[in-house]
Order: sequence, then C-alpha cells, then structure tokens
Amino acid sequence: MSDADTESAGDESAHEHQSDTAHDHEHHHEGPGYATPQAAIEEGEREKLAYVMSLYVGTDVDASDFVAVVDLDPNSDTYCEIVDRIEMPERGDELHHFGWNACSSSCHMEGLERRHLIVPGQRSSRIHVIDAKDRRNPELETVIEPEEVFEYDLSAPHTVHCIPDGEILISMLGDADGELPGGFLELNEDFEIEGRWEPPGEIEMNYDYWYQPRQNVMVSTEWAAPKTYYPGFDLDDVEAGNYGRRLHFWDWESGTVEQTIDLGEEGLIPLEVRFLHTPESTHGFVGTALSSNMFHFWYDGGANDGDGAYRAEKVIDFESREHPDWEMPVPGLTTDILISMDDRYLFGSNWLHGEVWMYDISDPSNPRRADSLSVGGTFGDVQEVQGRELNAGPQMIQLSLDGERLYWTTSLFSSWDDQFYPEEGEQGSVMLKADVDPRNGRLELDEDFLVDWGECPDGPARAHEIRWPDGDCTSDVWQ
Amino acid sequence: MSGHSNDRPPSHAVTLEWPGDRTRTVAVREDETVLDGAERADIALPFGCRTGACGTCTGRLLAVDGAEPEPDSGDAEGHGIETAIAYPRPPRALKDRHLSDGYVLLCIASPRADCRIAVGSSVHTELVDNPWK
Repeated sequence: MSDADTESAGDESAHEHQSDTAHDHEHHHEGPGYATPQAAIEEGEREKLAYVMSLYVGTDVDASDFVAVVDLDPNSDTYCEIVDRIEMPERGDELHHFGWNACSSSCHMEGLERRHLIVPGQRSSRIHVIDAKDRRNPELETVIEPEEVFEYDLSAPHTVHCIPDGEILISMLGDADGELPGGFLELNEDFEIEGRWEPPGEIEMNYDYWYQPRQNVMVSTEWAAPKTYYPGFDLDDVEAGNYGRRLHFWDWESGTVEQTIDLGEEGLIPLEVRFLHTPESTHGFVGTALSSNMFHFWYDGGANDGDGAYRAEKVIDFESREHPDWEMPVPGLTTDILISMDDRYLFGSNWLHGEVWMYDISDPSNPRRADSLSVGGTFGDVQEVQGRELNAGPQMIQLSLDGERLYWTTSLFSSWDDQFYPEEGEQGSVMLKADVDPRNGRLELDEDFLVDWGECPDGPARAHEIRWPDGDCTSDVWQ
Repeated sequence: MSGHSNDRPPSHAVTLEWPGDRTRTVAVREDETVLDGAERADIALPFGCRTGACGTCTGRLLAVDGAEPEPDSGDAEGHGIETAIAYPRPPRALKDRHLSDGYVLLCIASPRADCRIAVGSSVHTELVDNPWK
C-alpha cells in the first residue's frame, strides 16, 4: 500500500480518487479480488448468497454430498432457504473445505476470474471443480478422480488456496493409503494435476495452511494421519503421539520447510491457521483444538542471535468445564477461527462447549475478550432457535467482509459428530447468525435467522464450511 | 450358498442385516468387495475412501456359514473373520480391538465363505466412544 492510500483513508471521496490513481500507476489491479483488505470491506457487497459444504457421507441416506446455495438476502422471498444444490456425482465424498481458483492474490492476472470452486472430498480424495459463473446456479464442470490423486501418493485433500499465478494448491493429509506423510497437490489453471508442490519428505502431518507472499512465508498445521482421524477421535491416539502439535513455516517460493515449532502439550491438534490480512504482517493465529488454546505467532527478527525466526506463544486459554453428565472435564474444542478483514478481531468457535467468541487483537500479543455467545453444544444458554433444537455447538464460522455479520454451521466431521453429537446425523445441521458491532466489540444472536439442513429433500444433512461468492475472510490473500 | 461356475470366480451368500428386521442376501464374488457386490444389487451401504482407511463402510461379522461366533472368544478367529474375509490391503481404519470384535471394512473385504454381516451407519459409530463422557 502506498503512503497516499494510508493518508487518504479518513476521507472517503478523496480515498477513492487517490487509491484509484495509485492502482493505475503502482498496483495495476486488473484481475480478481480486491486491491487491499480495506478495499474488500469497501467494495465487497453484502453477502446475498452462501455456498455451504453439505454432506450425507456416513449416514444411511442414499444420496451424494452437495454444495448448498443459501439465500442470505433479507429482502428475498427465499431468505434463509437452500435455493440450489449442486450434487456430487458419487456418494461418500465428505465435502469439508473448499476454495476458489483465484482470489485477491491474483489481482495482477488480467483475464483471470474468481469463477471456479475447487471442492474436494475429504474421504474420497475426489476433487470437483464447479463453475460458479452463474452465482445462484453453479454447475459441476470437472472431476479429478481419486485414482489420479493416488498416483502422486497423496490422499485426503483439505485446504484449497489459489496461488498468485492462477494455479491451485491443496493440502493433502495422507499418502495414498491414508498413512503419513501428507503433502501438497498442485493443480494448473486447467484444473489438471500439475504434481506435488513440495519436495517429498518436508513434513509428516498436514492440515490447514495459509500463505503471506510478501513475506515469502507459508504456515501449515497438523491434524493426524487420515487412518487415525477418519474413524473418529480415540484418546489412545493422543497418548500414542498420533495427533499433531507442530507448526511448519515454509519458504513460499522454494516450497521447503524452514522452521518447525513444537507447540507442546498446550498446542495439541493445531487446526485452522490465519495470517493477518494485511500483506505486510508476519503475525498470525492458530487454534489448537484439543488443548483449546489460541497461539499467536510472529516473525522475531532478533531471534536466533539476530538471524530471525518465527515464534509462537499461547495467548488465549479456554478452560475445560465440569458437566454433571460427563466423567471428565469437557474441553472447549476450538475447531475454527478467523480474522476480521480489518485485522481487528479474532473470531472462533468452541464446538463442544457451545460458544462463539470475538477477541480484540489490535495488540496481537495480548488478545482481549470482547464478547461471546453461549449457543448450542454442551453448555449453551440458547439450545433452540425458532423452536429448532440445536443439536451441536458452533463449528465452521464465516464473517461478512464488513465484519458486521458472523455466520456458523454445526458439523465438524461426520464420524466425530457421531461421537459427540449423535443427534446431528439424525436431525441435520443448522446455520445460524449473529450481528456484530465491530465498533463496540459486541455480538448479538439473530434469532430471525435459521437455515435448517434437517429439511433437505433427501433427508437431514450436515453442513460444514461456508464461503461467499466474492471472497471472504478465509479465502483471500494479498501479494 | 457358496458356488462357482467355470468362467467366474466363486461367490458366497453374504447376508446383510440392518438394525431392525431388514436383511438382504447378496451373492458376492471372491474377486469383488462386499461393497461392490451390494452396489451391484442396488443396495446402498455407507462408504467413504474405498481404500480401507476411513472406516465409514464398517460392518460387523455376525456369523460364518451359519455358525454363531463363540461368545467371549476375544479374538478374530472366534468370529471366523479369517475364514470368511480376505483383504487385498490392510484394514488400516480398524485397530486390533476392532478386529477382535469382528468389525470388517466392507470396501476392501472379499468373502471366502457364506456369512452374515451387520451393516448400516450405526455400525461405524461403534468404533469409538466419547472419551470424556
């Protein structure tokens, strides 16, 4: 960002004029996305549709998983309804996370559009490409079959991000047998497998990743081998060291791990990882789900006797809670986090407790609790919305670009749902919403909002990750 | 009933039993999986990876050739798994305790004898409990 942009930020009309000038001369923003995170806040329209991963895998419903198109326009007759379903060609996928073929990181790529959704099957290792040119009625375009993926000795696709030159990178959690090591699979612009992105042997466990190209860094996290987490959560696997607790910091250009940080016993199962949106920042956060802590990480130029290194420090600790019906204290299970587009708040979910929260991270080393909602899950104060029982806690979250509306779904992973919230498979998931007051750091449940996957035509379905049609707080990266 | 013709691998009568009264008996060939055989008969069983890693397709062997498993036998042989089921690759989703309890991954299991198998989505949920409750 130029100094001119920064100085003009307080005056909207002057800002538009000056930032446009800055684009023409310095940034050449001709591709998809937004020139800056602030531009996403200003130029991004209110989300009127959501794409939501929806699944039947692991149930007795004889139907394939689907991408739900949800109407989020309060002025629409079909507000809060699933208005389209893009059904996958085969059953058994476990649609989980997904991403775009292009985002703001490709904003220099003239002609490239944010148009295709890359939708992997977590269990099947089948990768679907959906053409969302018609945002309300997307269509399945291409399928990469599991056998093609297995040829690269990879399986269990998870996080999808686009690479700034139009290619796509997918974190893969296992080898072709569902064992370790995992790795990264790269697709080209034509949605064909380009190959393995990294040299073999860089990591063992894998899960989520985020990259910050201006800092030439990527960070990746660890769940477990697919054969370990697929069937469900077994505490014996934790004791055996079969679950992850490390962060890997990569050289983004060379695709090699430069540094690994062991988060220790308080950092068990680091899942969702986010850098701040501003491309200048080396700060980020990771939620360690089993330990139910938040770690802040950042580049410390003075570390290593001045050679510099990333450091990670626990900054939020969610205590386990006693419950009369549980033999052991119940962990929060912090399964998802995101950072607001203005980098002011960290939002997250405690799936087992039944809580969504927002922390002020204007000083990232010292997050300050702003507000939380106790809803669903084991302890939630609110256990039904519009008479609909909430059979699970808040899980995948998504925030409007302007930071004023937080949405969430309630399914974690089919087999883990069955273990902790068995009713969810029978009743389906819900999507809920809270109104956010970012100026005052407040959350309020919107009880007029409810999307019910229990009413899907083929039977109750689960709902997982949420995306907006034109970029969101967990999709876009800036160069 | 087990049988074979000259040009096809032998097949075995695999009886699938859902919770409640529903049962279906399918002739499953030795060169196909129980899941494949069920799909050929238009029976929808749960499945995921189809490589033996995920456990979504888990069934539980109830009996082999009409013989009930010995109660409290404590090992897989008591269920006749080794005589009833062949795996072309390791059943990685199952731990030793699951194998001992007669659990079978139908996406990679091929029959070697007539048998009865409990199926449906409730079976894979038996593999793990809520460890804190």
